[in-house]
Amino acid sequence: MIMSALPLPQLLLELSPFWVLLFYIYWLGYSAANGRFFIALVLGVLIDILQGSILGQNALALIFSSAFISNVQQSFFVSNLSTQQVYVFVASSIYLAVILLIHVLIQGFSFSYYLLLAPLSSALFWPIVRLLLLKFRH
Amino acid sequence: MKFFKLFIPIFISVFLIISDHKFSYVDNLRLSIATLISPIYLVVNLPAALHTWINEQGTSKEILLNQNKQLTNELIELKTKLQIHNALLLENKKLTKLLGASYSIKSQKFKMARISSISQSRLKKQIIINKGSDNGLKVGQVALGTKGIVGQITQVTPLYSTVLMVTDPTQHVPVKNERNGVRGISKGLASKKGKLIVNFIEPGADIELGDIFLSSNIGSKFPQGYPLGKVIHVETHKDEPFLHIQLMPTQDSKQMEFVLIGDSN
Repeated sequence: MIMSALPLPQLLLELSPFWVLLFYIYWLGYSAANGRFFIALVLGVLIDILQGSILGQNALALIFSSAFISNVQQSFFVSNLSTQQVYVFVASSIYLAVILLIHVLIQGFSFSYYLLLAPLSSALFWPIVRLLLLKFRH
Repeated sequence: MKFFKLFIPIFISVFLIISDHKFSYVDNLRLSIATLISPIYLVVNLPAALHTWINEQGTSKEILLNQNKQLTNELIELKTKLQIHNALLLENKKLTKLLGASYSIKSQKFKMARISSISQSRLKKQIIINKGSDNGLKVGQVALGTKGIVGQITQVTPLYSTVLMVTDPTQHVPVKNERNGVRGISKGLASKKGKLIVNFIEPGADIELGDIFLSSNIGSKFPQGYPLGKVIHVETHKDEPFLHIQLMPTQDSKQMEFVLIGDSN
């Protein structure tokens, strides 16, 4: 959440990965906790409030993305890194699509196209996030 | 069962989206959670606060004396200008009285706040200021810079407030041309960073490059008469009912350190 609230120049902010999603995907793999979609809901609502977005926007996006990751969970965590990156790219694309859909429906078609690169940066940052979190875990 | 595990959070999210957009049922919930998580801003702003503190500690006496002299000069200059402003205000009052009109210029009190951070949302252009409801700030108040309007407060916690900037594509500001009073509605441009467009001005209107657009009190959302932007591009498109006018904001958000918070009308 702190990573999501970091003040960055607008362009960097638009290109930056979906940090919460990346950490959440990692957590999904190593935790057997029930109610993962409720946790996604709570996390998403916190992000919405932190960023001043419409309440429920990030929550819905995180729920759909985690539903996708849960579906491919068994193959995700035994795959090699590049296949994992593809999964992360798809999950991030779902996340972005939901956020943009809600934004366009409520506030009209007004966003920067650089945002479309965020799933790519999320996929590129996945190995770093995974490595760092693994180090922290040990 | 698995379906319900997924369906219920989705339903709650959709309910929250509709409630937040259409009604104000969840405003109290938002405020309570925002208050709870506001220490995150403190952590995020710690490096910047540390940098400011070190800078302030490292400033020499000579620099401070020079700065003091410069500020005193500026203060004298501004006080002289204020005398003219006060005289005009008095004249305006007399004329209003003579005409029997109800129009009046209200005197405003401002609160100064330091900008803690700029922009932490991908879809919104906003700033976080270091004052909140503990300092008497409320949602809807307007943030002003030395050169014009900066934005409007959209979220308040006891320690911090969020200001949605006028350059955000969802922030609509009623404006009028300083030169001839032609009115329109401005909003931010998502594709061009930091620029504004003015909508709803017909092709025949007298708009020139360099014209200044001021805020207007229509809708009582913003105070009137504060500069918003300077015209940098005017274009007439065939088959379109309105002019394409682009503005460069008079207040550059990148150079700002402080904002003044005042009432919207």
